[in-house]
Amino acid sequence: MDDRDQILRTENISIGFRGKRESAGVIYDNISVSAGKSELVALFGPNGIGKSTLLRSLVKLLSPLSGDIFLFNKNIKTLSGNEMARKVGFVSTETVYVNNLKVIDLVSLGRYPYTNWMGRLLPTDMEKVEDAINMVGIPALKNKYINQLSDGERQRTMIARTLAQDTEIIVLDEPTAFLDLPNKYEVIHLLHTLAVERKRTIVFSTHDLNIAIQEADKIWLMLPGGIYQGSPEDLILEGSFSKMFEKTKLLFSTGKGEFRIQRKPRGCIGLRGPKTEVRWTRNALERMGYGVGDHNEQEIMITLKTTGVKEHGK
Amino acid sequence: MQSDNPKYNSGYNNGLLFVALSAILVAVFVGSLFTGTVKIPVSEIARILAGAEASRPEWGVIIRDIRLPRALTALLAGTGLSVSGLLMQTVFRNPLAGPYVLGISAGASLGVAAVVMGFSFINSSAGLSIPGNWSMVIAAWTGSGLVLMLILLVSFRVRDIMTILILGIMFGSATGALVNVMQYFSTESMLKSFMIWTMGSLGGVTSSQLRIMVPAVAGGLLLSLASIKLLNAMLLGENYARSLGMNITMARIMVFFSTSLLAGTITAFCGPIAFIGIAVPHLSRMLFRNADHSVLMPATILTGGIVMLGSDIIAQLPGLESSLPINSVTALLGIPVVIWIVIRNQKLTGIF
Repeated sequence: MDDRDQILRTENISIGFRGKRESAGVIYDNISVSAGKSELVALFGPNGIGKSTLLRSLVKLLSPLSGDIFLFNKNIKTLSGNEMARKVGFVSTETVYVNNLKVIDLVSLGRYPYTNWMGRLLPTDMEKVEDAINMVGIPALKNKYINQLSDGERQRTMIARTLAQDTEIIVLDEPTAFLDLPNKYEVIHLLHTLAVERKRTIVFSTHDLNIAIQEADKIWLMLPGGIYQGSPEDLILEGSFSKMFEKTKLLFSTGKGEFRIQRKPRGCIGLRGPKTEVRWTRNALERMGYGVGDHNEQEIMITLKTTGVKEHGK
Repeated sequence: MQSDNPKYNSGYNNGLLFVALSAILVAVFVGSLFTGTVKIPVSEIARILAGAEASRPEWGVIIRDIRLPRALTALLAGTGLSVSGLLMQTVFRNPLAGPYVLGISAGASLGVAAVVMGFSFINSSAGLSIPGNWSMVIAAWTGSGLVLMLILLVSFRVRDIMTILILGIMFGSATGALVNVMQYFSTESMLKSFMIWTMGSLGGVTSSQLRIMVPAVAGGLLLSLASIKLLNAMLLGENYARSLGMNITMARIMVFFSTSLLAGTITAFCGPIAFIGIAVPHLSRMLFRNADHSVLMPATILTGGIVMLGSDIIAQLPGLESSLPINSVTALLGIPVVIWIVIRNQKLTGIF
């Protein structure tokens, strides 16, 4: 086994809830995945398949129904709460609403596993806190109250808290939910930077496949049939993503690395012209229900010509 | 460059506020020694406090045996109830939680009701009308202790904190119903003794009882101070607290125990005193604009003492033959605060 795979590893775990309640039982089983040092791992899968449950099992908020999870080759069953807290930081989907709580105080809570019983912050702790705040790019906000923050700023604050916690592994449950597109990209890019520059192993779940494909080193793809892991490129070439939406109206385009809605074409239209114009004309035609062919065999042919389109804003 | 350092700055402002609050606390404490139906000159009070004999011996008795214990009781009750309110609001992450949400006071009233209305069928009920009577204290303590046991048992098994909150309220209602049954079958005089107990009183605690009350409340306060780090982590919710390495069951038990020690003791000696525990933590949050318990806890202790001593002074406003029931005063002072909190925070989640 590759040396890089020794940071985080699960062996045939099945996840779910114990007990006799309705919600009890196995949600997903036979999960064997791993993550290496300095790797950014995206967990991808349909709603309700058990992504959150898996992540919560990784950070020991839940224990797997069977199988073992290893951090640095140690079974997490043998680790105390404090030892876990020094190895794994966690950002959940819960939003922390606390009035009068400042960004710097929230980030300082990341030092919890290291401070004494009073929670006193030593100068070295303060350094880590300041460093974490600078790293995520919110030094100007450190004395703001968290209820004054935008969703993107709040997410950065939560990430800064795990940085202050100084753990080699960071697990995030849907860090890009509720964020607008630029913020989604920035947050994932921040995670990528942390993985590269700070040598953190970062696992996050997401529904933004485009971003994940661009930034993640590895993808854990959780499908009803089983869990696949590999680099995004490998998974695309193996056709694993296409399996994800076999029964839906979505179609994964292996060539483009994106999903399209599958439609029954009303007819086929040929399209020729400059590349960009063809791309977007095709988009419009497909939305209207026409298939678009590249060749000259179609009944209807459209040839696009650029007629000196006015350029705005330049 | 100290002004650039916000930690220093806010520490400085907090320091000023703490000095001001301490000064006010001393002032209301001294002020409460002056308050009462008998007028005693300032110079005489100073002499008595210094240990000298007053020019009239009864003045010495009034100050030493009545007003000083009363002021101390108010101080203890105010700080203890406010701190336990703060603990409950943080643990349940609910702005309207107070010292009694676990059913502590209901347990205490069940104990007292049992003594006043149950056992008095056998014994004579003479002397039971005075709150602070030893048998009532022990009964109240036992009652709230039993409720605490139930809550602890539940918190070992139940993970969800909202479930514990609902169970606490249900225990409270159930004990309340039992008390109602006892009231229904009791005589008028017993009913009155019990009703007077429920109105609360700071004046019934004797110097010898203070010897028990002081260490019990001090112990509860020390435990609370030791929970500051746990409470800060709990602000983020239980999942985050656990991911930071906190043992949630042990933390809850510690907090529930100190709450019961504080609220149970105070209810045993003074009767159930309402609204202080809910309102004071919000007052300190308003004053300090801070969620850090290492600031909030001492702030709540000081504010709680001030509010309780102030309420007691109001309850004994000159011109009244006997003092008003303390519970009515604290309710009339506390309810506007609670209403204000609810109105100011339209969004009830994340209210503190």
